[in-house]
Amino acid sequence: MKSPTSRSWKLLLLAAGTLVVVVVAPTVGSHPVSLADAFRGDPTASTILWKLRLPRVLLALLGGGLLASSGAAFQTLFRNPLAEPYTLGVASGGALGASLAFLVAGGRAGALLPVAGLAAFGGALAATFLVLLLGRRSGVGSHGLLLAGVAVALTCQALILFVQYLADATETLRMVRWMMGGLGVVGYREVLWVLPWALLTLGGLFLWRWELDLLLAGEEMAAGRGVALGRLRLIVLLLVSLGVGALVAVAGPIGFVGLIVPHLLRGWIGPGHRILLPACFLVGGGFLVLCDLGARTLLAPAELPVGIVTALLGGPFFLWVLRRRRTG
Amino acid sequence: MGRGRAPGIGTVSPNSLITARSISWAPVEGEPVLGPLDLEVVPGESVAVLGPNGAGKTTLVRLLSGVLSPTTGGLRWQSEPYEALTRRALAREIGYLPQDREETVPLTIRELVALSRYPHRPFWSTGLTGADRGAVERALETTRMGPLSHRPLVELSGGERQMAFLTAVAAQEASLWILDEPTRHLDPRHCLQVASLLRARHEAGTTLLFVTHDLSLAANLATRVVVLEAGRIAADGPPERILEPASLEQLFDAPFHVHRDGEETLVGLRYP
Repeated sequence: MKSPTSRSWKLLLLAAGTLVVVVVAPTVGSHPVSLADAFRGDPTASTILWKLRLPRVLLALLGGGLLASSGAAFQTLFRNPLAEPYTLGVASGGALGASLAFLVAGGRAGALLPVAGLAAFGGALAATFLVLLLGRRSGVGSHGLLLAGVAVALTCQALILFVQYLADATETLRMVRWMMGGLGVVGYREVLWVLPWALLTLGGLFLWRWELDLLLAGEEMAAGRGVALGRLRLIVLLLVSLGVGALVAVAGPIGFVGLIVPHLLRGWIGPGHRILLPACFLVGGGFLVLCDLGARTLLAPAELPVGIVTALLGGPFFLWVLRRRRTG
Repeated sequence: MGRGRAPGIGTVSPNSLITARSISWAPVEGEPVLGPLDLEVVPGESVAVLGPNGAGKTTLVRLLSGVLSPTTGGLRWQSEPYEALTRRALAREIGYLPQDREETVPLTIRELVALSRYPHRPFWSTGLTGADRGAVERALETTRMGPLSHRPLVELSGGERQMAFLTAVAAQEASLWILDEPTRHLDPRHCLQVASLLRARHEAGTTLLFVTHDLSLAANLATRVVVLEAGRIAADGPPERILEPASLEQLFDAPFHVHRDGEETLVGLRYP
């Protein structure tokens, strides 16, 4: 049994751990920088720290937190431990929208963040509604939705390849790199862009924690206790598409964070969403900061797209979850 | 909670809790599995819904409890159409125990029971109110689940888990309980436990409507028996009239014997 106080302490511990990661991560890299130098006003140190590394760390924190919390909500909503924005078409729809924006805007898309952002929203929302529509027709409840989500994700990925094929060689290379998922930002523009959407998604999901908790007892039990399931599905899908769409527009689709983090945390801190959702934000954020640190340093001075790092960790994890479900 | 006119779907008895008029349900692009049928539930009743497998019993109780919407026809709670009520408002009146009960619920009994206060909780509130906590304790007391309340449902036996779900229904403090096979898969001791809980609730004024295959349970707990057959109501009346060998044989196409002993009635299959 997990008492409320022990869960709160664990949450506090996670917050402290994440804070340490966020403070230390910017000082590590191909060119180590000490916090003391940066505060003393050393020009190189402060440029690297404040302009290059801190925005990147903050974007990773927000993005990872957003993906992990969204994954936790999706896993409860779809009653499936393999559900997350990346496997369910939301991220792929967003990526398709952004790819189209890149194709149309050509080389200027990088300077037109809101355009790519809106296109990613549009894509994520369109994919979400398609999933809802198909899910309603193909079966009852969450199983139909899950199947529809996988089908939409695969279709979007095929369309993205088609868009890449249409683009010219330089543009294609840029899109391919972006599709790998990366946090290589300079300055705070992207962080400030993602921040309000991430807050909306996280705050919104937190407001629906009681309904999500009731879903743990089964869909019919939740409906019998007064949860309007159709409305809950719609709201969670909308909230997640807004946040993930915004993130995809700047960082590309980053997979598996939303899968690994909620799964591990549920075992340690319990399934109640009042604690689980904030814990997922903290650990998901810290995890992506560390993954990005790996991406920056493993092949330094070259950089690995962070999506490759998470995918390399996530693929085997996916298999492990499948195996454990079969044996357990 | 008004009563009176019922535009659109015909007359409403002034004191019915539920009035269902010509309700039917069919899956998308499928044959109807239930109805059209009419049904009323009045306060203080204890209605047993019987019928062979596939007769539409579960569909009927899902419609009555509002978790499923009818394809045609309309339902009212007192004088309010279901469509005019939120799911939460309906859940304050009707406590529903579904047939498909998860076996791997990762919550403790107390967590599940506390969550069942959901329909009473204002959207902005952050935790349980004093009234909620009182209801949780009362529910745990009625089902005697207090001593087990810290245990997760996954660790419980089938019978204990069933009592935990019933405790959750009790915490909702609804005036009508709709239960889909409350004694399914239970050993005799737990069957008895569930039956005495339901009898106590009924005596305390809760209206009951339950699906069961246990004819003796129906005979001893119900004040009214409704028999479904192929999606229609084949019989509806007091248990003395329906639970007797001739009508049972006709309804279920199997031989029965009925034994009355004072207050108690035993209904059994006549095995070859």
